[in-house]
Order: sequence, then structure tokens, then C-alpha cells
Amino acid sequence: MRARRVLAVTRRVFRGFKHDRRAVGLLLFAPILAMTVFGIAFAGNITNISVIIINDDVGVAPAPNATPVKLSERFISNISTDVLDIERMSDMDRAVQKVRDGKSWAVIQLPSDFSAAVRSSTPTNITIRADKSNQQVYVAIQKALRDGADRMLSSGGFRMPISINDTDAVYGKEAEFSDFLIPGVITFAIFLLTTLLTMLTFTTERVNRTLDRLLATPATEVEIVLGYALAFGIIGTFQAIILVSYGVVAFHILIEGSLLLAFLITALLATTSQALGILLSSASRTEAQAVQMIPLIVLPAFLLSGIFWPLEAMPSWLRPFSYALPPTYAAQGLRSIMIRGWGIDRVWPQLLAIVVFLALFLALASVSLRRRR
Amino acid sequence: MAAITVRGLVKEFDGLRAVDNLDLTIERGEVYGLLGPNGAGKTTVIRILVGLIKPTSGDARVLDRPAGEKELAKRTGYMPQEIALYDTLTVEENLDLFANLYEMERGRIEQRKLEVLRFVALEDRRDSIVYQLSGGMRHRASLAVALLHEPELLFLDEPTVGVDPELRAGFWENFGRLKTSGKTVIITTHYMDEARHCDRVGLMHRGRLVAEGPPEEVVARAGARDLEEAFLKLASTGAGKLPAAKADGGVRP
Repeated sequence: MRARRVLAVTRRVFRGFKHDRRAVGLLLFAPILAMTVFGIAFAGNITNISVIIINDDVGVAPAPNATPVKLSERFISNISTDVLDIERMSDMDRAVQKVRDGKSWAVIQLPSDFSAAVRSSTPTNITIRADKSNQQVYVAIQKALRDGADRMLSSGGFRMPISINDTDAVYGKEAEFSDFLIPGVITFAIFLLTTLLTMLTFTTERVNRTLDRLLATPATEVEIVLGYALAFGIIGTFQAIILVSYGVVAFHILIEGSLLLAFLITALLATTSQALGILLSSASRTEAQAVQMIPLIVLPAFLLSGIFWPLEAMPSWLRPFSYALPPTYAAQGLRSIMIRGWGIDRVWPQLLAIVVFLALFLALASVSLRRRR
Repeated sequence: MAAITVRGLVKEFDGLRAVDNLDLTIERGEVYGLLGPNGAGKTTVIRILVGLIKPTSGDARVLDRPAGEKELAKRTGYMPQEIALYDTLTVEENLDLFANLYEMERGRIEQRKLEVLRFVALEDRRDSIVYQLSGGMRHRASLAVALLHEPELLFLDEPTVGVDPELRAGFWENFGRLKTSGKTVIITTHYMDEARHCDRVGLMHRGRLVAEGPPEEVVARAGARDLEEAFLKLASTGAGKLPAAKADGGVRP
């Protein structure tokens, strides 16, 4: 193997980009666009859910003949107004009709004995008639109510028999949903763009017969694949640097661990993805066929690799497929480094898994270039 | 010692016989034209000799080595039928890539780039991006790449397709000059009239050689006026029914 030939292939990839602004745009701006969209649309908490409260509470008098006090009002004022937009109504039927019409997500009815029950610590029920068609909204409503009740009780000097104290988290003390999401977005953007770009580039090499010309030179299949691998490894690292910097500036993402280690994982992922792209290109005879393969790459990566949902959310029979996808390990590794602050001593299993995929895909890609029939 | 020796060569694609028991000998220093209509098997023969595909059976030797051996790559040049250049690179960047892949002596590259660009009359287009060139210029740039590393043996697959007549005459002049510098040139073409420039021609039909020899001799033997008529006569007697001489739809690997 000759370094000169490997480097010649690498240089040719970069020189191609010099005159092909569109591909450069795809490589640099598409990841930023992806992160912007995901960061803004998904990373935020759910807010401004419109709900209706019907307060039937008659209150309780602190002393005989005194004006009754409604503890329910204290409860309502403790509910986060960021999460819930509260409208007050008195007629149950009309309130439920508003939910039916899709104008409100839930009717929350406070019972007439609310204050009495709180005062005497006896059980009572808050009734919710909700539109549960969106589970995430419903869960957010429940949580807002529970938090409101907790705040009311503790501020009113009521002692809760059991409380959960989670302020001293093992990892991710300051983590928000966006901190979980952004390592996934980095993984997804790099895996997807690199695989697609190499698949299309290589299909063009085959269709235009430049690949034939390369193979008719002293260059071996392995040298050609390594030349590409080097180019896309470098590009992947650049993408990672841009994405992480952008994530820090725009979304204040957490970086507890080593940035270098995060970049290493990203570069290895990019190199693995380019080898996969070469491999997949051998299944297409035209660029149009290559484009048809895109869903085959996007969907499994999106759904199965735990990029946006935890693997635990998947049925157990599906999980082996997740572990057969390189982005699964990259996302796990990046999260452990960025949120948990783990070092190489603890993320080596993920690193090793990616390296194994890399070696396998590079070997298969080289074989796929070998004269076919 | 022959440049090319082919014995009993067979190549099948999904049961279709593209090359059928071909025997072929090409001497060093000759310009040999492999003629025949599209689909006759010319390109398949070239691709086997270059080492891009493997034959189904039979033996193919190039410069006394088995065809496809990597050691041969430095001594042979290949111009595919398609332009086969990186069209987002300039002409010079394409040349640089192949100079490095052929591991040319670094001090020699600059000089050699000038020589081949002058050879194909593209000196003033070295900084043009390939997709900005006209079709004829791209063909010439493609030839320049094949010549760059000074190969002893050149495989030129349909180098004159889509090239205007004036330019085509220039190309044949170039091939003649290569011969005088001691190179062996193997050219495929389906333009029969061009083949008169070759030292020898082989007429291919349905994967077989139906006639071979110096062009005027082949014409005379067939009792024809020109190569095209000779081909039509030979094909109808030698290999049965004849497809339209320039019909498309040949077997392409």
C-alpha cells in the first residue's frame, strides 16, 4: 500500500468540493439546519396548554361564623402558568363541549369538599375530563397539577408523608431535554449526510466509469477506499466541531467530558458511514436507484438507534437490530461523554464497537470495488 | 514477443455470450483496430485485457503477463468509452490525480502534463473545469490522461465517438505519432472508414473474429470496395444472420 496513492484519492475528494459549492453547503449547513430545527422544535418543554378549571370548592371557615377560605384558590395559584393556560368556567357540560371542539385539552373539576379534605387530611378526588389523544400533553397536565399540589401543601405548612428528593442527581444535574437530544442530532446528521454523500459520489464514480479508470491504475481497492475514508474522517471531524460549537453557543448544551473524545467518536462514525456509503453504492446501477435507497438508511437510523428515543422504549425483539447499527453506539458514547462526563476508561465499549464496524465496512467496501463478475 | 495473446477467450453475461472463443494476437508497435458494430464484444475484450472483468474461460496475456495483474497497470494506459474524468475538477487536477496514482516521478510530472496537453491541443484549457469543456475537448482531455504516464501499450475504447470529423482526423494523426514513438495502440471503433489508418484490423461479429489483416487486404479478400462492405459480406457468410451494423443494444458489463 502506498500513502501517495491514498493521499491522491483524498486530495481529489477535497478538490472536487472546491468547485462544487452545493456539496460543501450540504456538508456544512445541513447539520446546522438539522440542529436548529431539532433544537428549537423538540428540545423545548411543552407550554401553553389550554385547560379549563371548574372550581366547586365551597371552602372551609377557619373559625365558626368566619368567612370561608377556599384552599383550592391557593392550589390554582401554585400551578405553573407557563405550562397551563387556565380558563375558569362553572358549567361542566359547556366546558366538556370545549374539549370536544378541540379548543381545550382538559376540564379539571375541583370537588366541593376540596378545602375541607385538605384541612382534615381526608381523601378527595379531582376529576379530569381530558383529551388524551396526545399523551405528551396529558402527561404534562398531570405533572403540572401534581407540582401545583406539592407546592401548595409545602407552602401551607402541611407535611407530606413521603416526598421524593432528586436534587442530588448522579449525572445530568443540570441536564435538560436538549442535552439528551443534541448528541443524537450530531450522530444522526453526520451518519446520514456522510452515508448519503459517499453513496451518491460513488454511484457517480461507477456510472461515469471514473472508478474503472481508477482501478486500471496501480491503485488497489483498499487504497481507494482508504483515500475516501481519510477524506470523510476529516470532514466528519470538522462537522462535529461546527455542530458542537453551535450547540454550545445556541443551545447552551452541557459538555461535562472531553471534547477531543467526542470528536474522535464523531470522526470514527463519519469514516464508518462513508464505508457504508461505498458498500451501498454497489447495489445501485444509476443515481436514481441510489436515491431510492435513501429511506433504507434514514428510517432505521432514525427509529432504531436510540438517537431520539431511549432504546428502552423499543420492544425487546427489536433491540438486536438497534445494536447492529453504528449510530446506536455513537449516540450512547457521545451522551456518556457530554452529559455524564465519562472518559475513555468508560466509553471504550462504544468506541470499540464503532471501530469493529469501521474495520468490517472498510473491508466489505474494498471487496465490493473488486471487479465484479 | 507479442503485446497481446488471447486464446479461446469466452465471456458470458447472464447466459449471453459476449465473447465467443476468441483468438487474437497483437504484435508490439502496431496500431490494431478492433472493428465491429455495437454489441460485437469489443468493449468486453478491452475490459478483460485491462483487468476490470474476469473472463468466463480462456486465456488472456498482456505484455507476457496474465491480464489484470496490478504490475501491468503502470505499463498500460486505458481510455474508457465514456469520458471518465472528474467533471468538478479542472483538466490539470485530473492529470495530477492520475500522475500520483501512477506514482510518476515528481520532477517529471510538470513537463509531462505540458507534453500531453500539447499533444491533444488543450494547453490553454488546463485550468478549465471539465464540465465547462465541449464534448470534443473532454474526449481530448480523456486521451491526455491515458497518455500521461507514458504507457507502452494503450487501450483506446471508441476514442472517436462523438468527435467531429476534423478532430477525428487529428486523433488519428496522434495515434500514428504514438506508433512512431514505439507504442502499441489498440483501438476499438464502429466507424469502419476510420480503420484504414490501422496497421491491422480485426473484424468482430457476435463475439468472434470473422476476419483479420491489413485493411486493404481484408477488403480485397472479401472482394469488397471498402471495409464496411467487407464486414457486411463476411458477417452474413461467417456468422449467419447479421444485425444492423450500427444498431445499439450491445452487451455492456
